[in-house]
Amino acid sequence: MLLILVLLVWNLAEVISIYRMFKKKNLLFDDRFTKTMCMAITTISSVALSLYLELLIPENQMSSFFLPILVGVFIGWRFGSIIKAPATLNGIYNGAMGGMMGMMLGAVLQNPALCNIPIDSDSLIATNMYVITVFIALLHTIVSSFIRYSIKV
Amino acid sequence: MDKTIILLLLYVDICIGFGFYMYLWRIKKLIGFHLGMNISIVMGGMIALIFGVLLILQFPFHFTLITVVSTLTGLVVGAMFGLLFDYQTFVTGLTNGIVVGLMSPMIGTIIEMPSVFVWCIHIFFAISLCTISISIKRS
Repeated sequence: MLLILVLLVWNLAEVISIYRMFKKKNLLFDDRFTKTMCMAITTISSVALSLYLELLIPENQMSSFFLPILVGVFIGWRFGSIIKAPATLNGIYNGAMGGMMGMMLGAVLQNPALCNIPIDSDSLIATNMYVITVFIALLHTIVSSFIRYSIKV
Repeated sequence: MDKTIILLLLYVDICIGFGFYMYLWRIKKLIGFHLGMNISIVMGGMIALIFGVLLILQFPFHFTLITVVSTLTGLVVGAMFGLLFDYQTFVTGLTNGIVVGLMSPMIGTIIEMPSVFVWCIHIFFAISLCTISISIKRS
């Protein structure tokens, strides 16, 4: 669980740094560029963060159903509110979609019998979970480095 | 569903995607960025969905590896189709391929009638290819 916490803090730091960068330089870009980049970072970061939250919160609590979706909606709302009002709708839609997908992936990783996946021993479940979370953190790093590169150019 | 048919369908899909890529490579100057963004989203998502479902039907005991493989496939296909047009279409196709590729092996494990589902996916793939071709002709 410590590894997942470290990955959560890492990805959260990346999202916050990209948000501050957009907030500082939002007058430099046109609307299409900001909409595309906000859509990309909203989708991947809401999937990643809601997956980590679903894995970290203990099962069968009220917060484990609502908190991941709320985190996705919040990320979409903040990134959408950088430009004009119709972009907020796009951001909230993508954030809620990513939050639900991350929650579904987290539920399947915790209990593979939901999807008829033939993995039953505890060590295999833990290995599976760690491999997929590290892979998603790497994907998040790749996408955010592309976005940072696009701001610099 | 027979294993040979699954491998054959996978091979046919790879060939269709490659042929469509070569077709778009010849006429990429004629396509605007808006249609290009839609093309990269549709092709990355459909190829990732087909790869995830067919591979999990072919090898049902390797869930983790197949999730990684289908995600990388969606990433690469979305990025390749996006790189034809623009940097922003590249980022959009890459992200959409990642998300669909993460979800597709889960769909593949829970379906009840695999043959109906696989043929249905291929019909949707053909319909989306026809729609893209018609909109390229009209633009």
